[in-house]
Amino acid sequence: MKKKYTSPYALDEYFASGYEESENPFIKEGSRPWGKHVALLSAVSAAIFLLFAYIAKFYSFNIESFFLVLVYFLAGTPSLIVSLKNLQKLNVNIQVLMTLGALLSVLIGSQLEGGLLLVLFALSEALEESVAKKTKGALNALHKIAPTTAYVINDTDNTVHAKSVREIELDTKILVKAGEIIPLDGLVIEGSSFVNLAHLTGESVPIAKKVGNEVQAGSLNTDGTLTISVTKTSAESTLAKIIQLITEAHEAKPQIQKILDRFGRRYATTVILLAFNFALFLPFIFPSIPFIGNEGSIYRALAFLIAASPCALIIATPTAYLSAISACARKGVLLKGGIVLDALAKCKKLGFDKTGTLTTGKLTCSSVDIDGNTMNLEEGIAIAAGLERAVVHPIAEAVLKYAQEKKINQVAITDMKVIPGHGVEGYVTISENRNYAVIGNVDFILEKISDPSRVKSIINMVKRAGHVVTLLLVNDTVLIFHFLDELRRDVKTVIKDLEKEIEVAMLTGDHVENANYVAKTLGIKEIYSDLKPQDKLRIVNDLAEKYPLVMVGDGINDAPALTRAMVGIAMGEIGSATAINAADIVLLRDDLSTLSWLIKKSKKTISIVKQNLTLSISIIILNALFSILGFIPLWLAVILHEGSTVAVGLNSMRLLRK
Amino acid sequence: MKARSHFKGKKVFEHLKEARKKGQKATEESHGIETPGHIIGGADAAKELVTSALLIWVIGNTLGLLQRQIFLLFSLFCFGFLLWKVGRSAVLAWSRIERVNRLIEEEKYEIEHNREEEKAELKEMYVAKGFSGELLNTVVDVLMADDNKLLGVMLEEELGVSLETFDHPLKQALGAGIGVFLAAISLALGVKLFALPGLFIAGFLVIFAASYVIAFIEKIAFVHYIVWNLSITFLAVFGTLFITRFILFEGL
Repeated sequence: MKKKYTSPYALDEYFASGYEESENPFIKEGSRPWGKHVALLSAVSAAIFLLFAYIAKFYSFNIESFFLVLVYFLAGTPSLIVSLKNLQKLNVNIQVLMTLGALLSVLIGSQLEGGLLLVLFALSEALEESVAKKTKGALNALHKIAPTTAYVINDTDNTVHAKSVREIELDTKILVKAGEIIPLDGLVIEGSSFVNLAHLTGESVPIAKKVGNEVQAGSLNTDGTLTISVTKTSAESTLAKIIQLITEAHEAKPQIQKILDRFGRRYATTVILLAFNFALFLPFIFPSIPFIGNEGSIYRALAFLIAASPCALIIATPTAYLSAISACARKGVLLKGGIVLDALAKCKKLGFDKTGTLTTGKLTCSSVDIDGNTMNLEEGIAIAAGLERAVVHPIAEAVLKYAQEKKINQVAITDMKVIPGHGVEGYVTISENRNYAVIGNVDFILEKISDPSRVKSIINMVKRAGHVVTLLLVNDTVLIFHFLDELRRDVKTVIKDLEKEIEVAMLTGDHVENANYVAKTLGIKEIYSDLKPQDKLRIVNDLAEKYPLVMVGDGINDAPALTRAMVGIAMGEIGSATAINAADIVLLRDDLSTLSWLIKKSKKTISIVKQNLTLSISIIILNALFSILGFIPLWLAVILHEGSTVAVGLNSMRLLRK
Repeated sequence: MKARSHFKGKKVFEHLKEARKKGQKATEESHGIETPGHIIGGADAAKELVTSALLIWVIGNTLGLLQRQIFLLFSLFCFGFLLWKVGRSAVLAWSRIERVNRLIEEEKYEIEHNREEEKAELKEMYVAKGFSGELLNTVVDVLMADDNKLLGVMLEEELGVSLETFDHPLKQALGAGIGVFLAAISLALGVKLFALPGLFIAGFLVIFAASYVIAFIEKIAFVHYIVWNLSITFLAVFGTLFITRFILFEGL
């Protein structure tokens, strides 16, 4: 079906693409595909004309020249433009070297070689451009989906009007219709729908959202209409943070790349000066070498100029890192630049935070024991549910859910008081008597029991089974609630895979018995338990001093530990701007198996960078040396030079595989 | 019934799209494209003359004509080209003004006789701009209150015709004439001073200067625009040269 209007985001998409012709909204939609791969098509056409010129060389000088005019027009013009722009900025770089080489070839009567140089250079540039486009794909896709306007609902007359997302304040009510991208993070206050996070995380299973649920900017509202109260401004939204992270990733250059960039500028000028000197002085030093002809100094100097140009060396690192970053983005892994891959590949130890990382962090109440006879089990559960009603905590949620499943109604609690970090207390009426009731953590409740020995022995037994315990005390009766923190799916296999690559340790605030149980189940040998937040940070500090450490956590509670480690990886549900800020790597999908993939990818990236550097440096040295000695003719110098550039580019593209 | 004939059975947005196309056509040249403006017109004419003159020269040279024969041919061509370019510029610019006048009259008639349909168009345009509810109605009412204001809005928004865009046809024609004259004089001077290389140097300088002027006025990237213009001339001239030489000396 033909679209009614051009997409309302057409201009944004155009800007985000870097003014790509194929995205230009001023061009008719049907003719936009003409703008795709123009550079590549132009380079390929030039290559075909070059072949025709080569064939025509044996039959007609004029036809050969005609085809060479076409070659120089198609491949030379863009190259000349870029070179002149660089020279305007006094930047003598590889492009200037190549254009100069081609023009000098015409002057010494080697037009065909000059054409070959231009064509191969245009092809390698087109290849590099296509790698760059692919690597920026994730960023463009995010820009494409980032809405710039939202429909604001006016409270007084309920009218709706469009407003820039940048001007929308917190608590503003906005309307999102079916098929629209949610423009800002918020809370659903009316309506229900399924939203799809595929754009952000790659996870395509739609998630149901109803009143009270949070929704993230960038999610696609698939069916219903939602009214949302804005909870984050556009600058703070999840989508904005992700875009910022990916942009930083493309801009943050690893050390080796920074060195090569600095070196590249001086190198090009040195090569030009050396070539000039060879052309001028070789016949004086070696009288057997003439100035002109295929054995002449000018010919050799030109071959040297081309052979010594560091095209392959310059693209050796950025193409590899950008390809890896792009592959990571497609796998739902965001990282702050190639520098993080370098660091990750060096890490020797990986520390896991247990809750929310190895486990889901969602507790389920598996059973309840009772010690005492002033009430029965059902009454106790009803009181516990009554107390936990006022608290937002995984344990409270688990108790309420358990009561609901057992069809036990909550009991009314009076004078209820929350004691932060310990529990909840209040008064309950049993048989017309007002009784003190308290629910909370083990140490807090045990202090209130006159003879805790029996309860303690039950608790120890429960903890050894790897369960989390909470106690309810009413009069002298104690209820012992057992909770199970569910392990993530396939976590055992993941740990096994990881241990092939890196040493694994577990850090947790849980008591030692529970920590031991989980570690034993998963096969983790190094465990640090009973850690308060400050202890966790201290252990991370100690470990980080001994080994290059990578720390994996949910990014919210472990932000300081993630920051302290050499590499911090945050995982868990998307939507935590804190996680994105604190971590070097964010796993958008709730899938631990990505970790071993990521470590392998980082090692592979370093290995490919090394291969690229070795290949490019060797070819440059050998090609330049044999060119000046006269063993390599101009055409072979061109092919070796450009061939190595293409080889390096293709080698880097291997990292694009997921 | 009235609405049907106004929109010709089309939806309002389709009608608006068509109107915009009509407006765009009215402001273009009917026999070719010429950017409005006497300076750009002159610079463009200079570039055209250089390419044509260089082609005459390389073909004449390859055919074996004598230099003075080629120079005569070149001078006559420049004279004819000057007359044609001046006349053409004026006629095209006048035709454009006439077409715009006709459009204004048509739109004025629509405003006077088909107010409801014009109102529907206006609404559709402002809905597309993001207006809705009471605010949309207020905007439409304010614009509909004054026929002159409405005509201005409809011309700009519906038909895409902007006021104060064109030069007078005579000024435009003079610009084109001066461009051709200066280019011809530069080429002739080049030939007189340095023979054939002088022709190419002068041609290069004229295209360079003309492209620079256009890039400056239109705020286009200088290097990009100048190099492409020079490259196209290089392609046309040398492509033709080698084909001519092949046909005359090697091929057919």
